[in-house]
Amino acid sequence: MKIAVLAKVVPDYEVPAGDFELAGNRAHARYTRMIGLYDENAIETGIQLKEKYGATLGIVSYGQSEDVPILRKAIAMGGDSLHLVLGESDDPYVIASNLKIALEQLQDVDLVLAGQQSADLDRGVVHGVLAEMLGCTFLAQISRIESDQGRWTVCQNHESGSRMLQFSGKAVLSITSSPENVPRIPAVRAIMAAKKKPVEKLQGTDAPPMQVEEVKVEIPKLESVCEFLPFEDMQETSRMLLARLREERYL
Amino acid sequence: MRVPYWNIDYGFLIDILAIPALAVFLSGLYGHYRKIRKGSERLKTRSDKLPWKFGPVFVRSVLTKGILGTVIYRKFYTGLAHGSVFWGMLVLGLGTTLAFANLIAKVPVFSGSFNRWFMAFGLDLAGVCVLAGLLFFLLRRLFPPDRLVTPRERSGFFPMACLLAVILVTGFLIEGMRIRASAPELGSFVGNFVAGLIPGSDHITSYHRYLWWFHGLLALAFVVYIPYSPMVHMVLAPINTALADPRPGPKMGVIDFSRFDDESGEEMPSMGVAKLADFSRKRLLDFDTCLWCGRCHEVCPAAQTQQPLSPKMVMATLAGFLSANDFTDDSLADAIGVDALFNCTTCAACMEACPVSINQPKAIMKLRQNLAMERSELPELMSKAYNSLEQRRHPFFGTGSGPKDWQKGIDVPIFAPGQTEYLLWVGCAATYDERAQKVARAMVKILSAAGVSFGILSKPRCTGDPAKQIGNEFLFTEIAQENIAEFDELGIQKIITLCPHCFNSFTRHYPELGGHYEVIPHSVLIGELIAARRLVPEKSDESICLHDPCYLARRNHIEDPPRLALEAVGRLVEMPRSKRESFCCGGGGGNYWSESSGVRINQVRAKEALDTNTDVIATACPFCLLMLTDGAKKYTEDQKVFDIAELIAARLNLN
Repeated sequence: MKIAVLAKVVPDYEVPAGDFELAGNRAHARYTRMIGLYDENAIETGIQLKEKYGATLGIVSYGQSEDVPILRKAIAMGGDSLHLVLGESDDPYVIASNLKIALEQLQDVDLVLAGQQSADLDRGVVHGVLAEMLGCTFLAQISRIESDQGRWTVCQNHESGSRMLQFSGKAVLSITSSPENVPRIPAVRAIMAAKKKPVEKLQGTDAPPMQVEEVKVEIPKLESVCEFLPFEDMQETSRMLLARLREERYL
Repeated sequence: MRVPYWNIDYGFLIDILAIPALAVFLSGLYGHYRKIRKGSERLKTRSDKLPWKFGPVFVRSVLTKGILGTVIYRKFYTGLAHGSVFWGMLVLGLGTTLAFANLIAKVPVFSGSFNRWFMAFGLDLAGVCVLAGLLFFLLRRLFPPDRLVTPRERSGFFPMACLLAVILVTGFLIEGMRIRASAPELGSFVGNFVAGLIPGSDHITSYHRYLWWFHGLLALAFVVYIPYSPMVHMVLAPINTALADPRPGPKMGVIDFSRFDDESGEEMPSMGVAKLADFSRKRLLDFDTCLWCGRCHEVCPAAQTQQPLSPKMVMATLAGFLSANDFTDDSLADAIGVDALFNCTTCAACMEACPVSINQPKAIMKLRQNLAMERSELPELMSKAYNSLEQRRHPFFGTGSGPKDWQKGIDVPIFAPGQTEYLLWVGCAATYDERAQKVARAMVKILSAAGVSFGILSKPRCTGDPAKQIGNEFLFTEIAQENIAEFDELGIQKIITLCPHCFNSFTRHYPELGGHYEVIPHSVLIGELIAARRLVPEKSDESICLHDPCYLARRNHIEDPPRLALEAVGRLVEMPRSKRESFCCGGGGGNYWSESSGVRINQVRAKEALDTNTDVIATACPFCLLMLTDGAKKYTEDQKVFDIAELIAARLNLN
């Protein structure tokens, strides 16, 4: 069994709203860079499959050479190899085309896992486009994966519940976070070993981008509205607070 | 003149029997030595030149803590009883030696005033002291305080104390019989008294003879049994104090990770401690020496708030592995409990209270290092803090503050190489926590008012100390080396810290990684600026209760400077537990990022402070500030907790 996990290096996804600023329509370069939030869930899922079924686990990324030290965390967590396609495009079609190069190089990948969306652009598009390019099944928001006699059983999570799905053959799965795939902390010995591991760098391709033009990028402005809830019965107040938060779609 | 071995034929046989008894005694001690030898060498041999240190021996410690037992007297009655037994037995031992010297070399100890005042009165008095002390200990074993029996009691003391009491009582009976059968002896006030109680009998000399042999053989049996009983502490405790670095705190040192790079070795060394053989010899000596007296348990903030950790339980569990000669079982952490190991706030109150200089926090931290670095096992919130530290170089995950938010509305100079004197090290808490940011702002106001040449780094950094406290030395080393490189580049020599954890890291750990700086905690600098009248705050009648941060008072013995600063602005009141005996706020050891259940340490400490009826609770650590602010919320809606810098800055008249 061969598994590949797509990992993207993104700017800090926890930058406080008040401190967030754009430079050239993208997050300012001053923010710390790290592996995307859901991508780490995907890596953890991949490692668990590797441990359970004895699979080999390749980490595939599209980005720049500076990303390598950050991507080594995926190796320290349990990835077997790291493959970086060099490029700078933000276009989902270009990214998917480049990732396809690395996956074809890996040969016979059974399962491609990716975080459900990147932590910078939050599009959740690339894996779908990639599945189309590879001609294989695509399923989104998967939290659990099992393999039984050549068939895959996966659990797809929704806001209001989950459903179990089965399929055969190759697939691209987008992984959502769940209590089962909380990313592990790599052991120090693994971190030290990961630093020595060779990285396969592949030259990117100039695939045609999608015919979409980015006109404008805006970030939400901070607003604070203060509302006092009556405080006579703590339970009742808690219920009201919960209802208000839902009403305003914070929850 | 008293006749040695009066009424005893072949009395010298008891001295001859002492030879095999001594051999068994020494063989028992050798057994302890052999076990302790199985410990690993220290990772890094300390080469510091310290006063009163000869080779590995700290002479002053062994004299004060080991021989005089100064720490024992912190509990007065226990100390008095222990002193009575210890010094009484020493005098009795000396008397027995002198009697032996009389036998073999005719040293005239049984004549004249020496016999009256030492061999008679002195030895009787010593015997009474020992008996009184033993009576105290026997009663205390029958009606034990909680610390002796929680989580469990060490067996073996009661029979040994009984045996010793029987030896003493038979000794007085022998003396009484001798005096009854001969004549009253000047100075022997107990012997004369006992003689008066013994009825006249023709068989008194026979009874005396039998009892003499019984007494002698019991005494030899006692000596033989010492190494196989808890009484071995008579030997081990002074040795342990002699080898314990007397500087405060656990002294974790740093790890040279290059030794883990060599994969060609037959056996890879463990990071931290997984099995008994991974511990240093000094730690094994600690476990062997521990008497389970529970003084550590009594002062441990985790144990006192019913959390799983008890430092006494840690020692008892490890001593169990040691006595079972189990050096290869790598389940030490599981035997103690992973949760318990992460409960430790590294406050070092246990060390401070220990009468025999045991380093409990170091043993706990070594086990924690293994969990963090080899097993990657961390409690949930700590792991989030760790991840943030690893990714963002600060542990305040989910913070709502940007790195420069605390500077809004004030001018804060950036450190200029060759021009600025002090680096104001803001640290992670005062950068990323909204409440603690006020401390940094207050300190900027103070330094500007006093005309101190200072500047901050253009990009805030963390010392890495939270990683070290969580147990991940590797991440700490990485961060510390990055900081040292930046400091070298900027030519930083003097640092002002707002956080005692940062102060401790810079002074204790950075030098071992090549970073040598003159570091001053902000509370000390403020005191100095006030003393030099560079700051003249207005004094009020407000009462101020100082909570001593563990990393200042206990771990670095900085107790008075913060008080001097506070006395300039108010009236100091003290909590029952203050200075080196301060009770932790609960935030140390990475436990700022923990979810405690049941009684919370910060609430206990806040209550203790509020019970002094103080107007204000002061502290000198951002973590203590945050923990106590949270703890006080249970009892008052008023904002009562402030940092020293905030209190001083608020009383500066800057016209």
